[in-house]
Amino acid sequence: MRRWNLKPWLFGIITGIMFVFAEVIFNLYPPTAYSFCLTCHARDFVNTIVNLIFKTNYQTTFLARRVLMTTSLCVMIGAFIAARIFNEYRVKRGTHPVLFFATGFIIMITGIVIFGCPTRIVIRSGYGDVYGIVALIGIFLGVLSGTVFLKLLSKMNS
Amino acid sequence: MNMYLSIVLGLIGIVVGFLAQRSRMCFVAGFRDYLLVRDKELLLGLFTFLVTIWMLTSILYSMNILKKGIPEYGDIVVKSQVEIAMIGLNIRSLKVLGDGSGISSLMNNFIILSLGGGWLMGILSTFVGGCVLRQHVLFAQGNMDSLYYIIGFYSAVLVYYNVLARFLVTLY
Repeated sequence: MRRWNLKPWLFGIITGIMFVFAEVIFNLYPPTAYSFCLTCHARDFVNTIVNLIFKTNYQTTFLARRVLMTTSLCVMIGAFIAARIFNEYRVKRGTHPVLFFATGFIIMITGIVIFGCPTRIVIRSGYGDVYGIVALIGIFLGVLSGTVFLKLLSKMNS
Repeated sequence: MNMYLSIVLGLIGIVVGFLAQRSRMCFVAGFRDYLLVRDKELLLGLFTFLVTIWMLTSILYSMNILKKGIPEYGDIVVKSQVEIAMIGLNIRSLKVLGDGSGISSLMNNFIILSLGGGWLMGILSTFVGGCVLRQHVLFAQGNMDSLYYIIGFYSAVLVYYNVLARFLVTLY
């Protein structure tokens, strides 16, 4: 098929409308601002399945007791369908396995403590949560430190 | 278990995954691209997302359709119970939003935790090249670096709730 790209501001408008109206229409209520989060929904999904198989009692939120949260799995399915349709699926070998494993590990643990992945932090800031705005400022400072560090590293190498 | 709502959440996921792959959207790359090469396209995407949600929720709060509440507990009452099941701890009265007695009650441990946690997420995400959503999309495109990211992501849930929870809960 011919290439069909989307501008990022259109992504922002479409998904912004979709998340707010999904919460209103389908009553995804007991945690507020919970229509999309990749760390929280993955935590609920894993804990629900482990609770069903091993009969334990790990912590899930109130919404996860009546709904099975399949959000993060379906994001991967949707992106795979898009990559296959427009011929952009290309297997590239991994270069730094340990770095990526450790980063994913630490970001998930931080996300459980902070109550959100970067997407949900932006959603919470829009809803008016003070702690969401503070975390967004923290992300900006972190990206600033990261770029300064990478520039220093490239200067030392050359 | 309500299967109807699971299918709705799954459809939201498929649509977001499709649109994110087509537009190469990332919430951390907005700041990174602006600081390195002054490229404003992804930053504009982040700001339209924020402004759209802000406008819609302001309208819906005033019409009393959307309910206000603390994220993750969903209730305006401050006390809540967080049970950590393996250990049997019951942490009552997790005062995240304070006593409601002014702005000085908001200054507790959770602000420093939010700032520090956000800083950690930002710096690690620039090292690997994208936020969480972008790594999911890259894995679906066939990048095997992101496979290790996803494996670490899902195995951290099990390790946290078995080993680390009793130590990290004292931070609150």
